[in-house]
Amino acid sequence: MSTTTLTNVASRGGATRPRVGFLNRFQPSSLAFLGMSLVLVVLIVAPLTMLLVKSFTDPVTGGFTLANYIDAYGKARHVQALINTLYMGAAVVVLSLLFALPLAWGCTRTDMPFKNFVRAGVFGAFIIPPYLGGIGWILLAGPNSGWINRVWQGLTGSDTSIVNIFSFEGLVLVMAINLYFTMFVLISAAFEMLNSELEDAANILGAGPIRTAWKVTFPLVLPSILGSALLTFLVCIALYGVPALISIPARFPVVVIQLAEFFSFPLRIETAAAYSIPLLLITAALLLLQRMILARKGYTAVTGKGGERRLVRLGPWRWVLFGYSLFVVGLSVAMPLLVLVMAAFGRSWVGGLTLSNLTFENFDYVLFEHATSQQAIVTSLGLGAVSATVAVLLALSISYIVQRRLVPLSGVLGYLCMAPFVIPGIVLAIAFYAVYALPPVALYGTYTILALAFVTRFLPIAYTTGSAGVRAIHPEMEEAVRILGGGRLYAIRKVVAPLLKRPLAAGWLLIFVPAAQELSTAIFLVGPKTRVVSVVLLDMTEEGEMEKLAALGTVLLVIITAMVMIGIRTLGRDFMVRRS
Amino acid sequence: MTIRIGTVAAAAICAGLASAPAWAQDYQPWEQELYDAAKSEGGVVWYVSQTTSEMANALCAEFTARYPGVNCDAIRATGSVTFQRVMQEVQANAVQGDVYSSNDDTDFMEMQKYDALAAYTPHNIEYMLPSMKAAGNQDGYWYASNISPYGIVYNTDLVSADEAPKSWKDLLDPKWKDQLAIAHPGFSGSMSMFTVALEELYGWEYFEKLEANKPQIGRSVSDGYNLVVSGERKIAIAPITLALGGKMNGKPVDIVLPEDGLMLPPSGTGLLAAAPHPNAGKLFEEFLLGKEAAEFLAGQNRYPLRGDVPTAEGVPSIANVPMITANPETAAQKVGEATEMFRDTFGI
Repeated sequence: MSTTTLTNVASRGGATRPRVGFLNRFQPSSLAFLGMSLVLVVLIVAPLTMLLVKSFTDPVTGGFTLANYIDAYGKARHVQALINTLYMGAAVVVLSLLFALPLAWGCTRTDMPFKNFVRAGVFGAFIIPPYLGGIGWILLAGPNSGWINRVWQGLTGSDTSIVNIFSFEGLVLVMAINLYFTMFVLISAAFEMLNSELEDAANILGAGPIRTAWKVTFPLVLPSILGSALLTFLVCIALYGVPALISIPARFPVVVIQLAEFFSFPLRIETAAAYSIPLLLITAALLLLQRMILARKGYTAVTGKGGERRLVRLGPWRWVLFGYSLFVVGLSVAMPLLVLVMAAFGRSWVGGLTLSNLTFENFDYVLFEHATSQQAIVTSLGLGAVSATVAVLLALSISYIVQRRLVPLSGVLGYLCMAPFVIPGIVLAIAFYAVYALPPVALYGTYTILALAFVTRFLPIAYTTGSAGVRAIHPEMEEAVRILGGGRLYAIRKVVAPLLKRPLAAGWLLIFVPAAQELSTAIFLVGPKTRVVSVVLLDMTEEGEMEKLAALGTVLLVIITAMVMIGIRTLGRDFMVRRS
Repeated sequence: MTIRIGTVAAAAICAGLASAPAWAQDYQPWEQELYDAAKSEGGVVWYVSQTTSEMANALCAEFTARYPGVNCDAIRATGSVTFQRVMQEVQANAVQGDVYSSNDDTDFMEMQKYDALAAYTPHNIEYMLPSMKAAGNQDGYWYASNISPYGIVYNTDLVSADEAPKSWKDLLDPKWKDQLAIAHPGFSGSMSMFTVALEELYGWEYFEKLEANKPQIGRSVSDGYNLVVSGERKIAIAPITLALGGKMNGKPVDIVLPEDGLMLPPSGTGLLAAAPHPNAGKLFEEFLLGKEAAEFLAGQNRYPLRGDVPTAEGVPSIANVPMITANPETAAQKVGEATEMFRDTFGI
């Protein structure tokens, strides 16, 4: 996930080797390389190429045309949606950073109390999918009947409302309360690798703890901040669920809503493709910009070795920081979760906690009466598990080939694995639809197309985990096996695999949770028999039956939380803040 | 799925123990034939935007109760989302749905251009109200399958009957600023019909004035109804049957039949030409027009489609109420443009 991986891959991939005869190149490792390349072509190169080709293709004649771009960007409203999206993305990055940075610093570098409690709270933001956070906030901050407004009116006797979720600010808040988790994890990891020498120097020169943090500590983790900011931006602009819930009532058109319009009848894949290309270019440009900024300075302080790491003593400020952490966890997890569960057990979500309002009917409906929700829960969990497994195994094989430099040009594979990182989920769905749903491949309505798309979408996470794991294992252990006569596969089975169990299981869990809740890619790829729970929930949100969809959301959260708890028990609590 | 199979099995056992002969006698010969063929197909997939998902699932359960061994999966979403899914299947040559129900009959005309519909005239059509029979396609590619008029729904805790708007024109009164909920014609099929019909009635000016009241725009008309139930909004444009059902269940809602005409969207159902379960699809179409479904609808305060089933008490007769509707033939040309204009006027 971090961009340092990309850089490493680049510098190692170009290693030179002595020239060998043509036939000698067909070693098992070369075959593995070919196989992996083929897989990546299917998952990444073909869909993206198709997207580019389609954007220049006339839907009727099949010839070259620029008309799709004119259709896509010829209307002021369509251009406005793109501008709105960039604006929204920037605002979400800033707000997420305001949430994540103080909490990450507090949890890793200070003597803030109850750190594990805060970590667990932040982890809750990872488990709650964005659309459920959004539903929670609609119940909290609906302009007239939201809980916050009603409590305010009850306390003050006023009849005015103070918050309105159906606004730009509401949209940004709902995005940020979900997305700050990733930032928290990446920035925490960087903080944990710093040693205290430079901070000590600042202290000796007379800087207080806050000044030291601002002038020394934060600049040192700038690469992580920039990397996670970029990631947050990309994820944010590509989310479908939250805009569908909030930006339509807020009258704030964004790209994903516009793409959905192109995808409605008459289906305009070519226009949708053309509309997506600038988005891809913008994300690629941002990635480049980030690397340019980082390339100019040295950040060698983040070596990960040596030095001593001491916690900053904040004095009474530690309680201020803890209070702020509680506030963030409250906004992102506790408050939306509370109203969601209340709604799930209520006859009417506005009814509150009274016995006469208590009912189990909503659960009964979503579990037993609704035709597709039961099946959808099973499908989602199954797809999440399969995608996570395939992505982790694929990424592991590729990391091994890349890290051990088994073949020339293997670095290209690493680049490809990270490429989906810059492809918005909804664009990925369009690309997959164009290549694999239509004849001759005709995978529409199968589990296969969903699994392929999910594997692609989460490959970067898997690859980051996998290559960090492989890098941590020194080749000398495998060399020992080979000197003693074992083959490479034997060495992998007996040495590498056992050592990688833990990081791989952690990576699996980091993919399983979002994959089982994935919406942005699934939305255009599901068929009636392959519905996933997120799509069922989205269909339910259209009707605004908050109690029923809260019940289904609660069921989903309970299952996912249970699986994660089992994972944490097996892996240890700190798996999400690993050094990568 | 397991539970549903369980339910089906339980229903089958009950039928076997108690009422198997009754069931068997109940079937017409053609019905028995369809039922047998449907059983070997397993079940029907019903794409529907005509009803709420709750109603769709309840109808499906009724269907399976009448025809044990034939499953029914209702996939409910707004009109254009459902239509997009169906057409995506048609164009991908991978049709997986069997029966399609919409509040916007122009969908069926589009589908005919792709030869996506199968002609099938249900046997039960002879019991239909004559007006309903006439509203369908004369070649049997689709038939009228729902009477769900749209009126004004208001929250009785927040608005008195006197205060409530009396007509579509009253919605333009500034006192409803920030208090009205409507659907988006880009999602809702019935809202796009409403947009075409009101534009014909009052011109586009109507929507420009409506925008001054800043209505909350949802995706489905049911969303507007639920916003009124929760008190988030005071009034909404919504199906009156939905609100009547809520009223009978004690929810704080009531309806107004607008003086300038109840809006009746042209609601049809058709069988897909490439349906993977054609017999189950036909059986389901028969069921929707059958007496059991009509009685079920009447019991839910809906309008039954058959002359031999009376409307439930408390449901206003719509026989003598002024009605407006969009003619599918002319609406087909206007609907795209009207949706674009809506997007420009309302900014979303």
